[in-house]
Amino acid sequence: MLAQRFIQLSSRRLQANQPALSKFAAPAAIAARIQARHVAFQPSSSPVQTTPAKPSDAYSILAAQRRLRPVSPHLSIYRPQITWYLSISNRITGSLLSGGLYIFSLAYLASPLFGWHLESASLSEWFGSLNAFAKGGIKFMIAMPFTFHSFNGVRHLVWDVGKELSNRQVQVTGWGVLGISVVSAMVLALLV
Amino acid sequence: MAAQRTFTKQAIPKSMTSNFRGQSIVTHSSPFKPSTLSITQITTFRVADFHTSSRRHILPAGPQVINGTANDPAPVPQPSPTHGSYHWAFERLISAALIPLTVAPFAAGTLNPVTDAILCATLLIHSHIGFQALIIDYLPNRRVPKTRALFMWALRAGTLLVGVGLYEFETNDVGLTEAIKRIWTA
Repeated sequence: MLAQRFIQLSSRRLQANQPALSKFAAPAAIAARIQARHVAFQPSSSPVQTTPAKPSDAYSILAAQRRLRPVSPHLSIYRPQITWYLSISNRITGSLLSGGLYIFSLAYLASPLFGWHLESASLSEWFGSLNAFAKGGIKFMIAMPFTFHSFNGVRHLVWDVGKELSNRQVQVTGWGVLGISVVSAMVLALLV
Repeated sequence: MAAQRTFTKQAIPKSMTSNFRGQSIVTHSSPFKPSTLSITQITTFRVADFHTSSRRHILPAGPQVINGTANDPAPVPQPSPTHGSYHWAFERLISAALIPLTVAPFAAGTLNPVTDAILCATLLIHSHIGFQALIIDYLPNRRVPKTRALFMWALRAGTLLVGVGLYEFETNDVGLTEAIKRIWTA
């Protein structure tokens, strides 16, 4: 019985690790299973080997077992939901905005060394030379993280005082924040 | 031996024994004889049972270190309001302060250099706390203590330099809000 189980599991694992082999592995597994059943029904004294373990081995066995514990599956197996999508979006948009601020400030500080022109006058001159589509696009790409992170930040502060915390409310406020962010970002992008 | 037997029996899941069509694993061994399955075989079965699709090691398990004995409780850190509730309240205070500071130039229609400087300082603290949270979450101390320390020091140095840069921008240029306004309406 154990031999049958072992062949079944190893063929399944082989199939999972090398999908290309699945065409051949499946019939082979069936054949092996039939064969294994014949073998398994014969009375045998010891179907598997025994490994003696001393109490002093407990820690190494425990450590080995811990390494074999299943790891969490990747994010892609979870259903996309407004709750966790907005949660990670809050972090991503915040990182983009803060990252932008950090990069600009460091570049501004280093600009005299490299002769870069990052003063507001030259930056606005460069931006003014772009066409309307590029201007609108760049503005929207900056405004969208800003409006989303701002409104979602307010949503977080509302949670922090213990309000709007039911599943339904979290979903409703989530969609609300998303809508307000997109609309206000578009308004800001069209602002001249 | 007694310890090993109880350990082994606990490790066999119900789903596995039920697959033996009535001939359960327990009947294989007499009550006085330890189970015939070794630990490694059982654990291999259990993992294989769980993963029916291919395994992708995103974060493979690192070396397992047992500090003290296996039954020691996890160390409880000393309670400290500075690292707890005060810190939490301070983070929220900084976040909440950003709302009026952001709205004020829009609402007033004019730009005050002092308000702008306070906005820059608050943004800097808010960003620093945010990056700190990223490092704490994605570079855990038990897995990559050295990388985490390196990133923490890089962040401190970065925040300091960014502070100097913002000070330079505020004093030599037109200020953050006015600069954004000029670029936006260019």
